[in-house]
Amino acid sequence: MSIAGEILANAIPGSIALVYPALGELVSERAGVINLGTEGAMLAGALGGIATSIGTGNVWLGVVVAVLCGAATGSVHATAVVLRRANQLASGLVVWFLALGVTSVLGASDNGQVVSLLGAVAVPGLSSIPVVGPVLFDQNLLVYLGYVLVPATWWFIHYTRGGLVLRATGERPAVVFAGGHKPLRVRFLAVCAGSAIAGLGGAQLALGIVGNWSNGMTNGYGFVAVAVVIFARWNPFGVLLGSYVFGVALAISSVVQAHGIATNQYLLDALPYCVTVVVLVAVSSVGRSNAPESQRDALSETS
Amino acid sequence: MTSERLVLTRSRAWDVARSAHRAVSWTRVGIVAGAYVLCLVAFAAFAAWRGANPLTLIPTMLQSSLLEPSALAQTLLRAVPIGFAALAVAVPARAGLVNVGGEGQLIIGAVAGAGVGIAVGAHVPGVVGVLLTVTAGTLAGGLWAAISGMLKVAFGAAESVTTLLMNFIANDIMLFLIYQPWKDPNGSGQPQSRPLAASIRLQPLLGTGVTLAVVLLVVVTVGLWFVIRRTGWGFALRVVGGNPMAAMRNGLPTRRLSLSAMTVGGALAGLGGVLNLIGVEGQLRPDLTATFGYVGFLACFLGRNDPIRVALAAILFSAIALSGNGMQISEGLDGSIVNVLLGAIVLTMLTVGRRTKEALT
Amino acid sequence: MSAPNDSRAEPHDTPALEVRDLVKTFGPVRANDGISFTVMPGEVHALLGENGAGKSTLVKSLYGVHRPDSGEILRDGKVQHLDSPSVARRSGIGMVFQDMRLIPALSVWENIALHLESTSGVLRPRQLRALIAETSERYGLATHPLRKVEHLSIGEWQRVELVKVLLGGLRLLILDEPTSVLTPQEVAGLFAMVRRLTAEGVAVIIITHKLREVRQIADRVTVLRGGRTVLMNASPHALTDAELITAMVGEPVETLQRAVTPPVTGAHALVRLNGVSVRRPDGDWGLRDLDLEIRPGEILGVAGLAGSGQNELADLLVGADGIADGEVVVDGEAVALPDPVRMRRAGIVGVAPDPVRQFVVPGMTVAEHTALWNSAGMFAFDVRHADADLRRRDAMAELRVVASSRRMDRLSGGNIQRALLTLALTSDARVVVASYPTRGLDVLTTERTRTLLRRLSEAGAAVVLISEDLDELLALSDRVAVLAVGRLAGILPGGTADRNTIGELMTGVEAA
Repeated sequence: MSIAGEILANAIPGSIALVYPALGELVSERAGVINLGTEGAMLAGALGGIATSIGTGNVWLGVVVAVLCGAATGSVHATAVVLRRANQLASGLVVWFLALGVTSVLGASDNGQVVSLLGAVAVPGLSSIPVVGPVLFDQNLLVYLGYVLVPATWWFIHYTRGGLVLRATGERPAVVFAGGHKPLRVRFLAVCAGSAIAGLGGAQLALGIVGNWSNGMTNGYGFVAVAVVIFARWNPFGVLLGSYVFGVALAISSVVQAHGIATNQYLLDALPYCVTVVVLVAVSSVGRSNAPESQRDALSETS
Repeated sequence: MTSERLVLTRSRAWDVARSAHRAVSWTRVGIVAGAYVLCLVAFAAFAAWRGANPLTLIPTMLQSSLLEPSALAQTLLRAVPIGFAALAVAVPARAGLVNVGGEGQLIIGAVAGAGVGIAVGAHVPGVVGVLLTVTAGTLAGGLWAAISGMLKVAFGAAESVTTLLMNFIANDIMLFLIYQPWKDPNGSGQPQSRPLAASIRLQPLLGTGVTLAVVLLVVVTVGLWFVIRRTGWGFALRVVGGNPMAAMRNGLPTRRLSLSAMTVGGALAGLGGVLNLIGVEGQLRPDLTATFGYVGFLACFLGRNDPIRVALAAILFSAIALSGNGMQISEGLDGSIVNVLLGAIVLTMLTVGRRTKEALT
Repeated sequence: MSAPNDSRAEPHDTPALEVRDLVKTFGPVRANDGISFTVMPGEVHALLGENGAGKSTLVKSLYGVHRPDSGEILRDGKVQHLDSPSVARRSGIGMVFQDMRLIPALSVWENIALHLESTSGVLRPRQLRALIAETSERYGLATHPLRKVEHLSIGEWQRVELVKVLLGGLRLLILDEPTSVLTPQEVAGLFAMVRRLTAEGVAVIIITHKLREVRQIADRVTVLRGGRTVLMNASPHALTDAELITAMVGEPVETLQRAVTPPVTGAHALVRLNGVSVRRPDGDWGLRDLDLEIRPGEILGVAGLAGSGQNELADLLVGADGIADGEVVVDGEAVALPDPVRMRRAGIVGVAPDPVRQFVVPGMTVAEHTALWNSAGMFAFDVRHADADLRRRDAMAELRVVASSRRMDRLSGGNIQRALLTLALTSDARVVVASYPTRGLDVLTTERTRTLLRRLSEAGAAVVLISEDLDELLALSDRVAVLAVGRLAGILPGGTADRNTIGELMTGVEAA
């Protein structure tokens, strides 16, 4: 396989690790809440997943715990922002900070311990498609869940009553309230659900890619997720595309190094973030955003 | 003219109600104080769970941050990067911009300072070297933030997201430099830059353990307070921040004002970064800023964008951050437990504090 | 969900709604202070009153938004507790709010689905669309279920609201100032639908401050003032206009009489638009190929459906908007826009169409707003003398502006408007672009504002009066320019223009 091909193929696991937090962010933002705490939910999910795997030896139990940890982290943000109307950006950062502190303290004993990664499961038939088969369909189950979750989220948002209320809440909560629904409850649940999904991203990163715990190991994925959602124009399929672009930028570094090409690792490490900024700028400059109405100014709320 | 009278009585009644509310708010004070106590108790419980003695915890923390003179000096020194990073949030916030890039701006300030400092070395007199270094750091921080500012005014890219992402880029730039071109050959393999010449380092003032950097933080804080309150620029920033459309209709150059606020903010953080470099660190190393930029963001929230309150919040957070050392040494806790306390305090403030105004009903 | 019941409530003895001594306070303010009235089935009942008289508070209590402090609400003779809007809806009350409660980003059918009770978790768009089509047809309310609400005209928007409430099994319909944004033709359509509903036995409450409408549609009228009922369940035909106005305002009001000033002859235009086109941020044309002259000593009225380009015109004239095509000539010199400073220095000031979004700076006091206004783009803000300046202006305008130390963002809409008018109408301007200047004002302040505008034009200033109120335009304007979809549909002399001609011009180009 050419280097380019290898990069495109290696990008899948990392992309999926971003698909989860980005989908979670999307759900939360569709309800009108920006959640920078997504980064914290991922961290909590990663540690919860690793610690449970180490403790019980059961990776899948680790995945379940990761989801719960993510939801618990989200509930902090939801309480502050939805119930107490705190500033969304500040609360998100605080939640991340709390998660950073708590996971560092709790994870100290797990530092450096290696767990066995989630095994790849080849999908019969599909994995034997030439070229794309092994790339797309010889992955771990969390990757497949990610594939499924994208259209499922899209369907939920557009074709269910819950999805309609979710979208409406993100647009004009007062109208939703007048319609006899409970916008606060919708937002609370959306933030928790979104963070739970982000927790899965932490599990994919920790149990599907890295295999051990280190402090702050999510490295800004949760923040990138916010940018990916803007790029995706709040559409789940756009999230898939945006995550893949990021995943490719991420894969460049590892593939180039594996080939022993003399470059500086740290400059390559910066590449995904640079790509994200460039993409964000490109999307922002085309004009009208699709952002849910109630949060159109939330990214610039200063008090 | 009953309706007119009604309107007047109504507004006067509201005023009375509001001032009465301001005077007799003891319940509120109680709730707020109770919330902070609860926050401390929760933290102590968490620390106790991790093996610390909850009774000695607070004395240990106070000891290692405020009570000993040397610890107090450390707290004030540490307040420099946090304080400047916090002011770096406060100035753009006046113009309605969210600068979450304090961390990166601190780093870039330190990097530019280190670059100039290493280059001029001991070739120039100390004062000139310090001035050049500090100027370089300040400018670099300003330019770094100006990138996000430009992306905002020219393309409408959300500055909160771009500044956040640029933190990671700044960190990778620093790592690149200290792992390769600027690596200290005498660093026994450690990734760090060559140290700055002693002539460029700030010395403690009159045996207090505190450097000129702390004085500068005080001066800049008071200066900003004045600038924001008393100058046309400060007034115009408030207009832009409050209502950009009204600012534009009144003929204010909104884009230039936004950009200037962001640049000044970044310059402040850059200044904090370079002062931390020449005052405390002496050379670049990984984790140089240790999330000071984010702590500064939180301090700015605690201080509600008012420079003086923001600086005080920064000193408080600096003390908390330093108290982590004590907990690490005498209680055997992971030092990052202070992030839990910082987060808990700001979370408490966010949940009992002022609310955003969105109407839900 | 079912459409309104066809079986008419035959003996109309029991009122469909009876309100007894309703009180609702907000802090120290008694917004409703003992209100009583009754509405019979099949009747149109008008609630008449000024802004701030308590009409909106009252109907919000009827719709379950507010809980009254005391008093009773009876439906068909039985006391009812309306704890929330959904309880009210379930009991057959439907309300069309003035600020329409629709979500622009969603389609028509999605907006309607949001308000229907349903047990199914999955949406059934096709079924719902059929139901919408059926109801639309039955009541003559043309709607497009698949279109996004943001692309609808204001009239269509209102029709969607009506379909929404009609689908809920309606017994009592509340319309909150439904005609303020409609063309005369649309008003006729709305009233026809109201009559169809009353024929089916539905009771209708219509909130208004327009006497003409009370006369046109109402069977009975109740007048509110200062939160109290001053006239209850009266027949409008037994009362004169003067009596109704006196009931509303508390004292007789002399309305401004038309006095068309002869146009200043030979005066050259202060501002001339030559083939001006403006694009909106969404890419549509806001103004298209507009030719217009703004002359000294003249009030130029601008009429049009909401969103026909009035706001773009206002923004353009104060320099807040750029142009895509054509030229704007000020004092014989083409200017490059946007440039608010240039226009302000040319003596053009504006009363912003949307003061809360375009004028109010949150956190700043009235004095600071005055300093900002006076800076006129000079970057010098004299807050210290702002108070004195504001008092001087207040003495001139007599609009009774609030104390300058108050925070502007905490003022009521009416007080914000007074502050804005005080600044704009006392600024020695050569051109005043007044967008909806009397919106949200009480009757007396409205008359005062109209007098000030008239005086400005008599003193030689040009006034561009943009308004939704055709009566206001006809009473004040020397010429009325009618905009339709961003184009100039026609200019009529103020004295001879009649409402229907203007209404036709407003919609005339819409088909294109």
